[in-house]
Amino acid sequence: MKQHTRKLFDLSFSALGMASIAFMVLALIVVLVPIFVRGTTAFVFKSTVEHRLIQLEKFGHGDETVVRAEYEKALDARKPAWAMLDQFKKELRSMPAKDRREYRQAYQEVAEIFEELVGPRPGEHRSPIVRHQYGQARLDRAEVRIHELLYEEVWNYEDGKSYKTYTPRKEMFKGTSLEKFFDYVPEHINDMLRPKWTFYWRFIFDKSVDSHMFGGILPEIVGTIYLTIGAMLFALPFGILTAIYLAEYAKEGVILSIIRSCISTLAGVPSIVFGLVGLAFFINYIHVSPNKSVLAGALTLGLLVLPTIIRTSEEAIKAVPHAYKEAAMGLGAGRWFTVVKVILPASLPGIMTGVVLSMGRAAGETAPIIFTAAVSVGRMLNPIQALSEPTPALSWNIYNLCTEHEAVDEIRHVQYGMVVVLIGIVIALNLVAIIIRARLQKKMKR
Amino acid sequence: MSRRKVLMRQALAKAGTSSLFLVAAASAVIVLFIIFYIFQNSIPFFESRGIVEFLTSSHWYPSHEPAEFGALAIFTGSLLVTIGAVFVAAPLGIVSAVCLSDIVNFSVRQWIKPVTEILAAIPSVAYGFFALVVLAPFMQAHGGYFLDAIWKLIAVPCALLLALILATPMVAKVEDKKKRRLYMTVIFLLISAFLLFLIQCVSSILVTIQISSGTNALNVSLVLAVMSLPTVVSVSEDSLQSVGRELREGSYALGATRAETMLKVIIPAASSGILAAVLLGIMRALGETMIVWMASGNAAKIPSPIFNYLEPVRTLTATIAGDMGEADHVTGSDRYHVLFAMGFSLLLFSFVLNLVSEKIAARQRGKLRGK
Repeated sequence: MKQHTRKLFDLSFSALGMASIAFMVLALIVVLVPIFVRGTTAFVFKSTVEHRLIQLEKFGHGDETVVRAEYEKALDARKPAWAMLDQFKKELRSMPAKDRREYRQAYQEVAEIFEELVGPRPGEHRSPIVRHQYGQARLDRAEVRIHELLYEEVWNYEDGKSYKTYTPRKEMFKGTSLEKFFDYVPEHINDMLRPKWTFYWRFIFDKSVDSHMFGGILPEIVGTIYLTIGAMLFALPFGILTAIYLAEYAKEGVILSIIRSCISTLAGVPSIVFGLVGLAFFINYIHVSPNKSVLAGALTLGLLVLPTIIRTSEEAIKAVPHAYKEAAMGLGAGRWFTVVKVILPASLPGIMTGVVLSMGRAAGETAPIIFTAAVSVGRMLNPIQALSEPTPALSWNIYNLCTEHEAVDEIRHVQYGMVVVLIGIVIALNLVAIIIRARLQKKMKR
Repeated sequence: MSRRKVLMRQALAKAGTSSLFLVAAASAVIVLFIIFYIFQNSIPFFESRGIVEFLTSSHWYPSHEPAEFGALAIFTGSLLVTIGAVFVAAPLGIVSAVCLSDIVNFSVRQWIKPVTEILAAIPSVAYGFFALVVLAPFMQAHGGYFLDAIWKLIAVPCALLLALILATPMVAKVEDKKKRRLYMTVIFLLISAFLLFLIQCVSSILVTIQISSGTNALNVSLVLAVMSLPTVVSVSEDSLQSVGRELREGSYALGATRAETMLKVIIPAASSGILAAVLLGIMRALGETMIVWMASGNAAKIPSPIFNYLEPVRTLTATIAGDMGEADHVTGSDRYHVLFAMGFSLLLFSFVLNLVSEKIAARQRGKLRGK
């Protein structure tokens, strides 16, 4: 090959490498940016007066007199709309039978959508389901309802393909008393709902109402924290003792290599298999709890993070300078005393790094807790209840809300919010680990 | 110190050491116990249904009367998404690792390391959420353009490189330097124009493809690839770093360019470590549950033709996760134990992969130490 082609080839090789790194960075951006952008809508959004009313009535937040006064104003703006609906209902009775049948259904649809938009009239019989007691709490959801109210969705079939078109309802009701209703609602929507930019920081401190239609995600966060800490309580003593044995006591040999390959195999066991073991052994066989429980989930997660903790702790212990040990031994300290008083304190930052990283792993895992600890709807537990009762958890509820919830599209913001909180927790733990590591490296340099 | 005290102390130390050993052994025995326990729980299934149906039939109707437990389609699904993920993650990961270890300078590396760490730290359910809520609707809406973009991203650089390689020997005999450069440019442009034309032909077909369901094997493979990318990158970077400076310096001293050094010296020397990295990536993709459960479509049938990645598939992990909720109410039935049979197959795969990668890593350590 000639010189300049070799150079060109070399250059294109470097370019290929750069491109693949760029792709990796791009992948991270493509995954994280949409999640974070949509995730902020769980916290910052235009809330309607209904949101403030829910906050007052269900959570006891907010100034009662202010909210009530605002709600009264909103009701005043809604009254003409309700009056129009009532007037049309009367008109309906005087119509010829043929028209009546046609209009009644259309009218009922309009009335239902309007009730979904602003909630039932005051004093009307209230349904036990919370989402039917209030109107739309968020302006973005309210806008979807308004579109539904103004346009009817019609599916057309042509050449085997289906597509939808929107016909304005106003035309349907042309010439009737309801026609002006479709002008009134969009014009006065701000008076009826009184949207306001809100920073809903209580999203992470509120419990949820009516399976996440309203409120926040506190029970999930608490459940995740229980599971993570529980897993650490089981894995830490076991992991660190094993690491001490492997690093300080064990002699190279067949047994040691067997132990090591067992541990590395444990690290490679798929997480769903841990879930199977947790269900079949901890719950169905030795009955740590009658059914799913935080305890069973924490035990299962503890098994999952054990190899990581062993490996990182062992490395941290081995990284302690030999002189420390020799000095301690030279002063007449015994082996165990040396380990506890000298080597463990010296290796603590390294061990902590591993522990914090495994906490991130335990917090994010879903598969092991599906059968052992997680339920989709549950209350917040105290530590005693955690021994025998299942809990909602962030990771499981993300899955559950975006696949099995009955109103998936209504609560997209909650799903995104949960993902952001979970990723936030995990990244924060990783940052802590990075900081510990950086400080350790600084200390080592000195 | 009296003699008795010394003896006491020695006995205590011995007891301490042996109890430490017991703890360590317990941590190790857990994995054997897991393997044994899963195996034991899958025996009832094989006893009542045999193994032939499980491995050769693709009729998966566990809740029908009579039930059918053919898991071939599910094995195929697992295989497909794993192959798809590795097909993306292995080349990308290896090239990135080479670039990180030898091409970019130290400060860039310090910036890229957190990227891989965050990619590795993102919980799988978040990846699954992305695949289901962001990527799947996107694929469904812009299927053709999505495929076209992927195709061009792969094909255009390859075509340019191919044109370069093809053009070089054609002009090798021309003596005059100026003339040679001219010919070279002309031939290169001609070949690459032809190849780009071919690419455009293919992509005009691709654009017309409609993806009927966004939750399919391609979606899952891509997201699995992104998830297992950091594993491949960090392990192969480690093994590239462990090849000593001497080899690099020797190669440069002989006048080799960086590309030649990497391709002909360093990558072959680190090949076993890179292979281990790829195997680890395979293990992650194969054992992943949430992404495939959420975004693979969960249809237990073999795609037709078998390499059709645009059809939904179902994997072992997703089947265990999805069916256990119902099967647990009938503990002891075939339906319950078949899931353990699947778990055991998964364990077997990952056990073998782990063993192979460990053997490879050990061999490389020995080889490098030998030098």
